[in-house]
Formats: sequence, structure tokens, C-alpha cells
Amino acid sequence: MPTIRKHKSDLVILFATLGLMALGLIVIYAIGPMRANVLNNTYGTDYDSNFFFIGQLRSVGLSLLAFFAAFKWIPYKYVKKFAKPLMIVALILSGLLWVLAMAHSSLVKCELGECRWFNFGGLSFQPAEFLKLAMVFYLADFLSRKREEGVIGKWREFWLPLLIVCGLSLFLVVIAQGDLGTGVALIAIIFGTLLISGVPARQYLIMLAVVLSVAVGSVATSSHRMQRVDAWLTTLTGGESTDSTYHVENAMLAIGTGGMFGVGVGNSVQATGYLPESINDSVFAIMGETFGFVGLFIIIAIFGVMLLRMLKVAEGTADFDARLLIIGVFSWTLAQVVVNIMAMTSLVPVTGITLPLLSYGGTSMIFITFAIGEVCQLSCYTSREVIRNEDISSRRGVRGAHHSSGRRSS
Amino acid sequence: MSRTNYQHLVTNPAVSMPRRIRILKNIVLIALAIILVRLFFIQIVEHDAWVAKADEAHTLLETIVAKRGEIYMMDDGEPVPVVLNQTTYQIIIDPAVTDKEGIKHALETYAKDYTVVDLDEVYDTEGLRYSIVAKNVPRDMANKIAEENIGAVWFKKNNQRVYPEGEMASGLLGFVNSDGLGQYGVEGSLNGELSGKDGLLKATADVNKVALSIGKDNVKIPAEDGKNVVLSVDRGLQKGVEEIAIDAVNSSVATNASVLVMDPNTSEVLAMANLPNYNPGDYGNVKDASAYVNYVTEVPYEPASICKSFTYSAALNEGAMTADTTYFNEGYEIVDGWKIQNAEQRASIYGTISMKTALYWSLNTGSIYALKLLGGNPAAITQQGREKLYNYYYDKFRLGQATGIELFEAEGYIPDPNEGWGRDSVYANMTFGQNLGITMIQTATAFSAVINGGIYHTPTIVKGTLEDGELKTQSQVEVVEDQILSPETSASMRDMLVNNRNYKVRDGTDKYGYAVGGKSGTAQVVRNGVYDDTYAELVGSYIGFIGPEGELPKYVIMVKMWGEGQSVGSGDAMDLFDKLSNYAINYLKIQPKA
Repeated sequence: MPTIRKHKSDLVILFATLGLMALGLIVIYAIGPMRANVLNNTYGTDYDSNFFFIGQLRSVGLSLLAFFAAFKWIPYKYVKKFAKPLMIVALILSGLLWVLAMAHSSLVKCELGECRWFNFGGLSFQPAEFLKLAMVFYLADFLSRKREEGVIGKWREFWLPLLIVCGLSLFLVVIAQGDLGTGVALIAIIFGTLLISGVPARQYLIMLAVVLSVAVGSVATSSHRMQRVDAWLTTLTGGESTDSTYHVENAMLAIGTGGMFGVGVGNSVQATGYLPESINDSVFAIMGETFGFVGLFIIIAIFGVMLLRMLKVAEGTADFDARLLIIGVFSWTLAQVVVNIMAMTSLVPVTGITLPLLSYGGTSMIFITFAIGEVCQLSCYTSREVIRNEDISSRRGVRGAHHSSGRRSS
Repeated sequence: MSRTNYQHLVTNPAVSMPRRIRILKNIVLIALAIILVRLFFIQIVEHDAWVAKADEAHTLLETIVAKRGEIYMMDDGEPVPVVLNQTTYQIIIDPAVTDKEGIKHALETYAKDYTVVDLDEVYDTEGLRYSIVAKNVPRDMANKIAEENIGAVWFKKNNQRVYPEGEMASGLLGFVNSDGLGQYGVEGSLNGELSGKDGLLKATADVNKVALSIGKDNVKIPAEDGKNVVLSVDRGLQKGVEEIAIDAVNSSVATNASVLVMDPNTSEVLAMANLPNYNPGDYGNVKDASAYVNYVTEVPYEPASICKSFTYSAALNEGAMTADTTYFNEGYEIVDGWKIQNAEQRASIYGTISMKTALYWSLNTGSIYALKLLGGNPAAITQQGREKLYNYYYDKFRLGQATGIELFEAEGYIPDPNEGWGRDSVYANMTFGQNLGITMIQTATAFSAVINGGIYHTPTIVKGTLEDGELKTQSQVEVVEDQILSPETSASMRDMLVNNRNYKVRDGTDKYGYAVGGKSGTAQVVRNGVYDDTYAELVGSYIGFIGPEGELPKYVIMVKMWGEGQSVGSGDAMDLFDKLSNYAINYLKIQPKA
């Protein structure tokens, strides 16, 4: 393996991250007072009008710390060593949360019947976010090791331990915490890295089919989730409004009123209580109202460029485990961005997932910026040579598939 | 392209790494492309539809309720309030958010009597986000509920009427219903002036219906508050009149009494009572809606012999007779085959008597003779006589026509002098106030013209409005001042009406130094189209005037007493008049002739 000298990091990813966080701050600054006002009027709380902006400012500060820690101070090789213990700690924390929630401990914070947070004297911490990060590190380590051992695709040495760890994680997140959003992100991380790990296509597709059928089954057997699917189909087909369709309808109302250029910062009406979760999961819709199609186009372009740059860094990364880690972070980001935005535009049912770097929230932002920080660190070690090494036949294959699919649809 | 250094990356030659990364790249591009197409559709193609939908959802259209004007009466020359406003609150909840047990407890503790819904039902209604749970909650109780700090509870201010004088003048004042609409009485007839003009607030609002400063098309039209109406009614006189009338009702077989006091020289109403009263603050609990009726203006009836004053006035004014003109009283008269009898049949008045004497004894034959004289033929009722009487009754005295007073009024009717069968008997009856329908206000206004020198004034009950504590006098009616009788006719009528009460001076009822005149009326009730000759039910009336001797009268008082199935004679009404006239002389400080 050729030694690669350190060079400048990928500035596109760096600036995309910082730019999105700044944009998030601006929007929270504009709508935070409205959010506080709505909560105060509805629930008799006493939030200061700057409460949410200050909270976001704090989150951004901590996230920047996490980002630069991962980027500059914590070498990837060091992180890799701790991949397994980190995963164990993450699973223990999630398990502990579950047990404490069943025991109705005051250390657990529950909202709308779902217990997803530890609460330490006003500071809350969501172990599921930590679990996502741990999963990225763990899979990078696990899959690269198995590859070196040459056991990828083997049942006992490869699939069994993988299924145990992933199954346990998904159980703790989706079943114990009722957090379908994080579940979707985890599945994206698992299948994103698996795809790159060199698993034979047949096995990969079988596994994907199994997971998808389990997912469909779990949705179909849960009235709560079926309701969301039903609401989604209702909104998509323009049916009668119900309480369940309220969220998506108001998200679309916000986006739709934005038009080409938006109503401008501070003029959002939907943020004054009409749109639920306006500062967290629905912030994209508020941005649609505020900045219009042009603004959303730019935001999506930033995400798109960032994601494609991650893939480029992955392609140029010689270390296999590092490449897997980048793909893990990529999959995580992609899943959250796409699922969140598609839910807001009624393309998929609402799952309750944050929009990375833009949504209000501490834990989720800190962990994903840490993860992106690692990617930035790794971007200093790419090699042009690797990128040039392409299999011509495979390229044809991709093209061929692309063209044939194009024909089918026309 | 070089294929060196490639193999070391791939252990399984069947799996191509760059190809799989390209799959991910394509996933990114396809997913983001789908999203952008979708966004283009929502934001550009459907933009107008969403804006319309947003307007519908965000626009708050709220009426700014105008403050209803208050109602005042006069007291010692100063306006004093008799109907005021009080702020009360509506309590509104959002059943999807409001804590059910919390609001339930608060309502039961503080606003049980004001709760207007069944909370269980409200909470069982699917999708309900807005429910008015209590109405007319007083300020202090609403404050207590607000202090409970239950989330998603709103208080909407509204004004409620309060009545510092209690039930006084309820039939005159009316009430305001739960929709804020004035009903009956002054509240009803002057609802337009009192209610003012509501303003409008159109604004973009937040989810809690609080107007935002964001919208572009926000509109605010301020409300024009209603006018404070000052009635010409004297509060003290009204109160005293009601107390005396209630006593009179209680000590007679009558169940109802109406009293009207007015200034004959201006036709300004000084007291208007309909008894029994009801509590206008609790109008909903009135069992019989007839309690709301203002009998003085809204119900035409037959004031009976009171109308002889009008027949006499007509004949005098036409020069057809004088007070001393004589006729032969047989005690009855046969007209169109009907025998019309006098109520008084004593032997001393059989034979030739004067018109003055006939009025004193209230003889029907006397007023019929006046009608004959009006027609130019002392022996018979003629067409000319009927037409002249009609001319006086309808055109000059304006009987059977709405007077134009600022209250709800009935018109009543005066029979046509030529159309229809049996005109002579109908007109013979009309000379003593039967076979017609006229209201007390019409009667008293006409009577005022009879005794005030002959001038008809449109009656009024509104003195003006109170603006910033200052009384602004302005007439609400189209004032008519019409000399319908000569001053001589009027003087002669005063003389005869005072003569009617001479014995009252002798027996000490009427005080020396004052001119008190009057005329009674006892009306039979029409049953199944004919007058009930069994006298089982009678309506007693009395009208009179008071003033210093030798001067024009200062006040006219009219009394009507009745009861369903009760025989209330004019005697009861006259007794009440006697008490009221003495009370009025005292209260109004009328000085006797020096």
C-alpha cells in the first residue's frame, strides 16, 4: 500500500457544514421567539423569546468543538481502536434508558409517550444519536477486519455477529424507544457500508429484501405507524384532512406559500404555531416558506455537493476501514436529509427525523458534526491514484443499467 | 487507463468498488432530483393554491364589538343611569390541548352557573379545537379561573347589561338578549343608536388567533360605540308612580296596570309604567312573554268614555254646540236598531239637561247628541257628522295612527265613516270610545291637545344623548305642532273636565288652589265579536290633568287597569289617578294659586 502524504482537507465539506449551521442559526433566530410564544400560550410555559436561539447557539458552539476535535485532534486510527468499546457503551446506554424508562426513573425524559432522552439536571442526552456514531465506527472496523480475514459473506464469521449487533441496535431504537427515524438512519448506515464492504450482490439483495419485509411487517402490525402511512397516502392523494394529516399539510402549506423567493426572514406565519415541530423536524418547511424555491434549491445543492464530495473522498481513500467510515457518515447524512425532506413534501410518511445541521437540537448536531469532522480529517489523506484506478467494465455496467432503465421508463 | 494497484483493494473480484460508489452517487442524484421536482411542483406550480389555502387558515376576521350605549333617566334636571354595562367573560378551550380535569374543576368551583356545555360531550367530539364552555362569567370569577393557569384557556370579554334600579320601568326599557340585540322597550326600538357600529379586524393571526404584525393586508376599522340615550322620564317620578300603582293592583281585582305621565305642553313623557315589572337581567325566566309588552304604546284598546272628551271637542270646535247646549235625555238611544243605554239611569237626570251635565254623568246619549249636532241634524246621525268626527279623531287627534314616539308602537284603527254596514251605530259607539282601537299614548297625546290650548305635539320620550358626561338635547322624532282646536274650545273642555271632579274637591281628594280635571272610561270586552253585556270583564281607564288653578295644566296622567276575566271598573282607575295626582303635585312641587 502506498503511503499517502497529508494534504489540505476537503474545503467543500468544511464550508458546506459551517454554512448550513450558520443558516440554521439564522432561521432559529427568526422563528425561535414565535416558538417560545406558542409554547407559552398553549402550555403556560415561560420561555424567554431568545431561549431557542441561545440553545441553538450553544449547540452550534459544542458542535464546532466536536467538529474540530474530530477534524484536527483525534486521529482516526485512535478512534478506530475504540470502535468496539464505543459500540458496547452505546448499546449499554440505550439498554439502560429502556430499563430506566420502564422503571419510570426521573433520569429519563419522555415526550408524547416516547422515552428517548436521559435527563441530567436540565441537560438532555439522546443515546440513539450516540448509537448512530458508534455504529459507523463499529461497522468500519468490523467490516474491514472481516475483509482482511477473508470471511465476508460467510454465515458464522460474518453474518451472525453482524445480525446480532445490528438487530440489537435496531431493537433498542425502534422498539424500545419507538424511534423510527433513527431506525431508518441506522439501516441506511448498515446497508451503505455493507454495499462497499464487498458483500456479494446476491447476499446483499437478499438481506435488503429481508430487512425491508421486516420493516413493512412492523409498520403493518403497528396501528400507530399505519396511521402515519394512512395519513401520508391521504395527503398525497388530496383526501380529507384529519388530525393525522395536519402535520404534513401544514408543512406543505409552509413550503407552498414560499413560492419562488420566499416570504423573507422573520415573516413566516406557519412558524407561529400552525406547523408542529417548526424548529426541529419541520425546519425545512419553514425554510421553504422563508427562502422559497430558490433558497431550498441552494440548501439542497449544498447537501448534494457535500454528499458527493464525501463519496469522492471515499473513492480517494486508500485505507479500507477509513473508506467504510466515510461511507457510513455519508449514508447517515443522506438518510436524514432525504427522509426528512421527503416527509415534509409528502413523498414518504412522517418518521420524526431531524435535518442534519439545520434542525434545532443538541445531541443530534454534536454527533453528526463529529462524524463529518472525521471525514474532513480523512479527506487530508486521499490519493489521486486511487481515484484513477477504475474498472472500465464496471463503468460500462453502470452506464448500461442507467440507459436501460431510462428506456424502460420512456 | 492503468489497471495496476487495483487488485489490492478488492478481495472478491466479482465486487467492483468504484461501481458501488457510483451506485451511491446515483442514489444521491436521483433522490435530490425527485425532491427538487416535487418542490418545484409545490412552490411554483401549486403556489397560488397554497397561498389561498394559507389565507383561509391564517386570516383572522374579528368583529370589534362596539360598546353599547347606556340608558339614562332624568333626576333633578340631571341624567342618571338606569341601564349600565358590565364586563363579563366567555371562556373558550381547545379540547385537544386543554387539561380536562383542570378546566372541569375550575368551572365547577368558580363558574358553575355560567357553564353552557357538557364537558364530557365536548371532549368526546372528535377533531374539536374550539369550544365556548362558559358565558357571562363575572370579572372576578374569570380572574380566579385565569389564576389556575390551565393551558389553552382563553377569555373573551363581552359586555352585559346591569340595572341599578332593578325591575323599575322594565316594560319601558326592554332588555338585551344573549346575541347583544336589544329586545322590547327602548333597548329594542333604539337598538340602532344604542348598539353603535361594530368595527372589523382583519389580520394574519397565529394559531392562537392572536393578530400578527406580519401580514400585508391587515385592516382595522375601529368600532363606533353606541350612544348613551337620555330619556325624558323622571326617575323619581317613575319610581313613585310604580310603587303607588303596584299597591293599587294589589288592593284590587286587577292584575295589570299601565300608567303614563306626560307634559301636555310638550308631549314629553315623564313616566311610563307597565305593571307587573320583570327582572330584565333575568329576562329568560319570565314565564309569560306578555310581561315584556309595553301596553302604553304597543296595545290598542278601547279607552271608552274618555273619548267623549274628543267628541265634545269636535262639536265645540265646529261651533255646533256649547257646554250649555241642552238635549232631552231619555236614558237610551236606538241607532240602526241597536239600543244604546246610559250606564247612569238615575231619575234626576231624565229630561232636558246640558251637555256639561251629560259629560259629568258620562252619558252616552250626550256624546251621541254631540255627533248629531256635528252632522247639522239634532234628530239624527248623518254622513256629515260621521265624516266630521272621523276628521277630528283620525286627522286632527291622530288616533289610530302611530304617533312617532321613539318606541315600538301599534297603529290601532278608526272605522271608516262610510264604508261598511251600520255606520251610524259604529259611530255612535265611537263617540264614547268603543268600536275603535287606540293606544294609551295616542289617547294621552290627543287629550293633551284638548286641554293645552288646542295644540297637538308629537309625543317624545328621548331627551337627547349623553356625550362625555354632557347632555346633548336632540329630538329623535319628527315634531309636529298643530293647532287642532281653538283656545276657546280647549278652555271650555278644561272647564267641563274640572267640573267632572268638583265633588273631589269637596270631599278633600283634590286640593284647593289646583285645577284637576279628568274623565273616566270603562270598556266592555269584546267576546266572539260582540260586546259582552254581562260585564264579567271590564277594563278601567282614567285620564286627567293637574296644574295650578287658573293656569294651563302642567301634567297629564293616564291610568289603565285590567285583569284577565276580572271586572275592573273605572272606579279602581280613578282611585289610582287620585293618588297619583296628589303624589305628582307633591313630587313635582306644583305651586297652588296664590
